[in-house]
Order: sequence, then C-alpha cells, then structure tokens
Amino acid sequence: MTPEELKELQVDKTVDARGTACPGPLLEAKKAIGTIDSGQILEVLSSDEGTKKDLPKWCTKKGHDYLGIVEEPGYFRVFMKKG
Amino acid sequence: MENKTMTMALFSGSLDKLTAAGVILSGAAADDMEVDIYVLMQGARAFKKEIGDNPDKLSMAENPDLKQEFLNSLEQLKVKTWVEFFREAKELTNVKIHICGLAGKIWGGEKLEDFVDLADDICGIGEYITSAQEADVHLFI
Repeated sequence: MTPEELKELQVDKTVDARGTACPGPLLEAKKAIGTIDSGQILEVLSSDEGTKKDLPKWCTKKGHDYLGIVEEPGYFRVFMKKG
Repeated sequence: MENKTMTMALFSGSLDKLTAAGVILSGAAADDMEVDIYVLMQGARAFKKEIGDNPDKLSMAENPDLKQEFLNSLEQLKVKTWVEFFREAKELTNVKIHICGLAGKIWGGEKLEDFVDLADDICGIGEYITSAQEADVHLFI
C-alpha cells in the first residue's frame, strides 16, 4: 500500500515503541498482535532503524500481512493486518 | 505450523553476554519458539538469587573497563536488564530454564530456591545433550 493509502487506514490498535531499541518494537508488536482479531490492523510506531526490516520479515513468518511503512519526522509507522 | 525449538547452553555469566542472550531470547519469543536454556558454570553464578540483576556483582566478558559506559547506554536506550529480558520471554513463549546441578554446587546453590525465580529446575547434562540433539537451533553462549 502507498503511504497515502496507509494514512487513510482505519487502525484498530496502535503501539508506541518510539525511544526503545531493538528488540523493543518487535516485542511490542508481538504483544499487541495477541490483543486484536484476525483481519484487524495494527500500527507500530518506532524510531529504531532495524525495525524497518525486522517487522516485515516477522509478519511474513507469522502469517500476518505487512501493509507498509509511513515515514514521519524522527520516527516511522509500520502497518500490518493480523492473519 | 509447528513451533521451532531452540536450545541454549548458557555458560557465560557476564553482563554483556547475558544481555546478548536476553536479546536473542526476545527474538525467539517473538517467533513463538519453544526454548530450553541450560545454565552452565559462570551462568549458574549469575542466576544465584543474591547476584541476578545486580550489575555490581557481574563483570564484562570483553572491555571490562567500559562496564559503566555499557550500563549507561543500556539505560539511555531503554534496554531491559538481562533478568527482565528473560522474564519477559518466559511470559511470551514457552521458555524453560534448567540449572546444571554441578554448576549450582560450585557456587553454593543446591536447591531451586537458591536461584532467581526464573529457574524451572536443576538438571543433569544428559537432558541438555538430548535437547541439543533435537533442537532446530542450538546456541552456546
């Protein structure tokens, strides 16, 4: 999905992992995905560069849809749909 | 999909290596791996109740003169202590922590209650070998 489409998404849950280093954002995603239903959208806020590669791979492995990323000043937003 | 398994021989009881083990464990937890940790020699000392998370009682495996810088950076980066990493991983996935009976005795720990409450049991080396033979991932730290 394009950043423009992602910004319009109806997000079901947002976790703010900004300011934490790896593996913080990954663990926050792992915990949060357990609290939403299949088909719902999770957004993870992170300022940790490694997250950009980590979360897409994790999504693929765990059967979730990685939707994309939106850059913001000083952080970024990662979107995924629970599988 | 069946969960993958990881067996870790945790020989080291130094701050830096325990922290690395904690980070790896977090990745395994995020992946829902089944983890067995066998705590050997120096690792068993770190797991003693009176040591655990106390950085004053733990040294660094490398660059010992940079210990304070290491600790300051961890705090600034909001990185958990090694015990907190292990605890969180146990909450997220199936992690069993086994203390080597010999190692425990070397440091004066005969019973499970001599160790931090994360430890599940005291075991013999045969159990570790079997676990390592069967694991998808085997690490020695």
